[in-house]
Amino acid sequence: MKQRALNQCMKVSGDPYGYLKEWKGNNNKKIISCFAMNIPEEIIHAAGLLPVIAWRSNESVSIGHSHVASFNCGLTRSFIDDVLKEKLNFLDGVVINRMCLQAQGIPFILEQNTKWANIIYMSLPALYGSDCIRDFFKSELDRLIIAMEKCSGNKITTGKIVNSIEIYNHNRKLLSDIYEIRRKNIGIISAREMLSIVHSSMIMPKEENNKLLLEVIEELNLKVAEGNHKSGIPVVIYGSLCQTPHPELLDLIENTGMVVVDDDIFIGSRYFVNSLDISDDPIESMANRYLSHIPPCPTKGDYKSNWSTYISDIMNKNKAKAVITLMIRYCPPHMCAYPDDQINFEKKGIPEIMLEVEHEIISLEQVRTRLQSFVETIGGI
Amino acid sequence: MLYFAGIDIGSLCTKSLILNEDDAIIGTSIKRSGAAYRGAGEDALNAALKDANLKSEDLNYIISTGYGRSRIPIADEQITEITCHARGSSFIFPEARAVIDIGGQDSKVIEINSKGRVLKFVMNDKCAAGTGRFLEVMAGSLDIDLEQMSELAKQSKKEVQISSMCTVFAESEVISLFAGGTEKAEIASGIYRAIARRVTGLASHIVSGKKVTMTGGVAKSKGMVWALSKKLKTELLVADDPQIIGALGAALIAKTKFNNL
Repeated sequence: MKQRALNQCMKVSGDPYGYLKEWKGNNNKKIISCFAMNIPEEIIHAAGLLPVIAWRSNESVSIGHSHVASFNCGLTRSFIDDVLKEKLNFLDGVVINRMCLQAQGIPFILEQNTKWANIIYMSLPALYGSDCIRDFFKSELDRLIIAMEKCSGNKITTGKIVNSIEIYNHNRKLLSDIYEIRRKNIGIISAREMLSIVHSSMIMPKEENNKLLLEVIEELNLKVAEGNHKSGIPVVIYGSLCQTPHPELLDLIENTGMVVVDDDIFIGSRYFVNSLDISDDPIESMANRYLSHIPPCPTKGDYKSNWSTYISDIMNKNKAKAVITLMIRYCPPHMCAYPDDQINFEKKGIPEIMLEVEHEIISLEQVRTRLQSFVETIGGI
Repeated sequence: MLYFAGIDIGSLCTKSLILNEDDAIIGTSIKRSGAAYRGAGEDALNAALKDANLKSEDLNYIISTGYGRSRIPIADEQITEITCHARGSSFIFPEARAVIDIGGQDSKVIEINSKGRVLKFVMNDKCAAGTGRFLEVMAGSLDIDLEQMSELAKQSKKEVQISSMCTVFAESEVISLFAGGTEKAEIASGIYRAIARRVTGLASHIVSGKKVTMTGGVAKSKGMVWALSKKLKTELLVADDPQIIGALGAALIAKTKFNNL
C-alpha cells in the first residue's frame, strides 16, 4: 500500500529536532516554540515566523532533574532537559501560556539558561463569561502581536492575520476530514499513525502540512477501497493534556483487542476541534474560539461544561463501547477533574480504565495485563 | 474423559493444575519461575500431568495466565490472571464477591459477580512493595523464613510501625529497628500490618460489605491473612492452597472455551 505521506508524518513526529533544524537551514526563518495549549499560533504565523508546539523529549530526563522537580509532568521536565542539553538551540524563542502551576515556573528557568531573546509569558484567562475576561484576553493578544512584530521585524496587519487564520482553518478541516475517514472506516489507521499525523501539523509549517495532509487523505481513500481494516472493541481515548502519550501505549491498546475510533487528547482532536470565524476582526474571532466551552478543559475554571458528558457524546457519535483515560502523571488539573469523570462514567454504565502516562516508560507488561483484563471484562469472559 | 489445564506463570512461581470434565482437580504443581518462563511453564505442566497420571496428549484445552502467559506456545489461549483468579475464587467460594490477590510482584483487588465474572478491578503495578517479593526480603532481613515470620508475628505484644513501604527503604528501617533492640516478633507484626494498610488503601472501596477471598502465594502466610483480616474487619476466605487459584481459574475457563468450540 502506498503511504509516502503517512510515513513523512511519522518521520516528522519521530524526530522533530532533525526536521526543524533542516527546515531552518533551508528557509532561514525564526522558529518560536508554543508551550503548550491554546497559544494563538496564527499571530506568530502572521509575523512570518514558524510556530511549533513544544513536544515531550525522546529520551529520559537527566540534567533537567537539577532544575525541575521530579514530580513535575513529563513535558515540563523533558522540555527543560532538552534546553539544558542544548537540543533546542535552533529555536528563537518561546511563548508560554500560564495554564498550570508547572508551566508558570518555566520562564524563569529559561531566562537563566537560554540565550533566547523572545521568552513571552502569556496569562490567557482561566475563566469564561464576562466582558472583562474577553477584554483581558484580547489585550494579551495585542501584547503578543507587539512581541512577535519585534521578534520578526515584520508588521502584523489584520489582513495577514486573516490569511493565517484561513491557512490554519484549512489545516483543521483536513485533520477533521481524516478523523471522519477513520470514523467511517474503523481500524483503517492506527492510533499511533493518527497521533503522528496531528503531531506533524504541530511541527511543520501549515502550508506544507496542508499539502501533506491532502496526500494522506488520498492514501487513506485508496486504503478504504482495499478494505481489510483492523477490528476490535471500539474505544475512545481522552486526556493526555499538553503532550504526546507514548506511541507504545497506543499500540498496546490496539494490540489487546481494542481499536481507537476517536479521541479527545491534545495531540489529537483537541488541537483542531474548533475553527475560527473569518471576519474583519480576527482578534475577536480568536477570543470566540478561546472562550468557547468546547472542548471542556480542566485547566480552566469552567463550571458549565462537563467533560465526561462531552466524552460520552464522542462515544455515541462513534458507537464506541468503552473509554480509556490517559492521565499524564503529575498533571494536577486532570487529576482534580478525574474523580468526577470516573463517577459519571460509572453512573452511565460506560466501561472506563485509566492509564497513567509517564515520561519514562516502566512496566508496560503490567499495563498490558490491565488492558487485557479490561477487554476480558467488557467481552464477558 | 476430557481434561483441561491451567498454567499460571507468576513472577516468582509457576503453578499448573489439571481439571477433569467433572470439575475435579486431579493434578497440581508449583515451581519457581526463574528467568525462563517458557521452561518453567512446561516443567510445571509436566509435573501436574505426572501428578494426574496423564500425558500431554490427554489434554483437551490449555490456558496460560499470569505474568508470563504469552510465553507458553503449548497453550491454546492466554487469559489474564485477574480473570482467572476471579473464576477460580468463585468456584471455591461461590459466596465471594471480592478477591484480593497478592502475588510475587503485584497486588490486585477484584470485584466479581455470582458467576465469577470480573466487574471491576484495581491493581498496584508500580512496584513490588507490599507483595510476595517484599515479604521475602523482609524475612531475609530478620534471618528467618516466611513460616517462622508468620508464627513470630502472632507472639508480638507491642505494635511497631514500619512506615516505609519501599522495599529498599523498609529493609533499612527493619535493620535499624533490629539494631535498636526491637524484638523480631514486633518487627514481623509491624511488617504485616504495614502491608495490610497498603492493601486496604487499594481495596477498601471494592471489598466493603462483601465476602472477600484472598488468593496468591502471599495468602499462604497466616501472618498476612491475620493482619489483613484485622485491618479490613472481615474474616477472609482462604482456600487450602490459595496459590493455585489462578491456575484453577485458567483450567475452568479452558473447559468453557473447549465446550464452546
